[in-house]
Amino acid sequence: MYATANVVDFPDQAARDGAEERATVAAAARGDRRAFENLYRRHSPRIHGLCLRLTGHRETAEDCVQEAFVSAWRALPGFETRSTFSTWLHRIAVNTVLARRRGLAARLEQTVDGDLDDLDSRSADTLPALDVEAAISALPDGARHVLVLVGLYGFSHEECAEALGIALGTSKAQLHRARGLLTARLGLETEQA
Amino acid sequence: MNTDRRMPASLDTQLAALPREVAPARDLWPSIRAAMGTTASAAPKPSRRWPLAFAAGVSVATAAGLIGWQAMRPPGPSIEQATPASAGRNVLGAGFAIPEGNDYLATRVSLEKTYRERLGLLKPTTRRRVEADLAVIRAANADIRDALVADPQSPVLNRLLQGIWQQEFDLYVSVARNTDLAVIRTRS
Repeated sequence: MYATANVVDFPDQAARDGAEERATVAAAARGDRRAFENLYRRHSPRIHGLCLRLTGHRETAEDCVQEAFVSAWRALPGFETRSTFSTWLHRIAVNTVLARRRGLAARLEQTVDGDLDDLDSRSADTLPALDVEAAISALPDGARHVLVLVGLYGFSHEECAEALGIALGTSKAQLHRARGLLTARLGLETEQA
Repeated sequence: MNTDRRMPASLDTQLAALPREVAPARDLWPSIRAAMGTTASAAPKPSRRWPLAFAAGVSVATAAGLIGWQAMRPPGPSIEQATPASAGRNVLGAGFAIPEGNDYLATRVSLEKTYRERLGLLKPTTRRRVEADLAVIRAANADIRDALVADPQSPVLNRLLQGIWQQEFDLYVSVARNTDLAVIRTRS
């Protein structure tokens, strides 16, 4: 759809996809809404999957997806192509989820003197009825966030720590914790040290 | 990217089997597109030779300016008390379609009074920005009204005009809300 004249110059599909993506991003950055819709269609399932697993709640995840894409639209003119659009968009989505989480925490502090860990006791029906999904959803926030980013969506611990605003060691410790909890909750063999 | 994947094999298998892509249950694009319409973007500027296009362009620019001002406003708690400003928002929320109506005039007088009283509490740079935004809003209001003379039944122009009124009120409300704390400190 975009930059089709250049497509034949690229030897492989990945390069073609990358070139088309860059052209689409450039068009969207110039204010082309159809190009941005194209980006939404392409990336929203993965971004929604990320938000769904980070929040553990379908409606919240949908809200986060919407906010993330609107934020991306606003910020797109300043997008620098040093990172891929997908990586950039994932970071925006993570920031959106965390910002909502902080807002929720602030409201809870004002209204109840409760423990935020209460929020971790999510019902299993907020995610598809898969045992592993339910187990991930029931993880404490810190462990779940790291597991989702590192274990599912390919963030390095460095990227994860930066995105979540935590120390590198904390990221590794939370992944270890998540592994242990999942292993126990799924009735798997205990991980070897 | 990640190199730390020392999970139990069976757990690894289960995690690997999870789909990374999970389509939303509904199409979120219409909501996103609607929200994009009120945010700053690099959309092409409309021609000034056509009143309707000009009015729409000014409206978009105004929204962008307001959002820019919202973004640069100083952080601080927003006090959701029934100030004249928040009272004005309630009136708007209840349906505020007739600009010549008594409700509109009374609320506008009250909000504008509060706005003028509070404007001096803003930082000079913020104040200049707010005043510039208000000037744009009022210019857009005049342009849309001019365009309506030629096409008084235009639904697009009438919607734009309502949007401009809302933006003007939002500006007043924002100034009031963001100076509530300063007013309370002054009184205490």
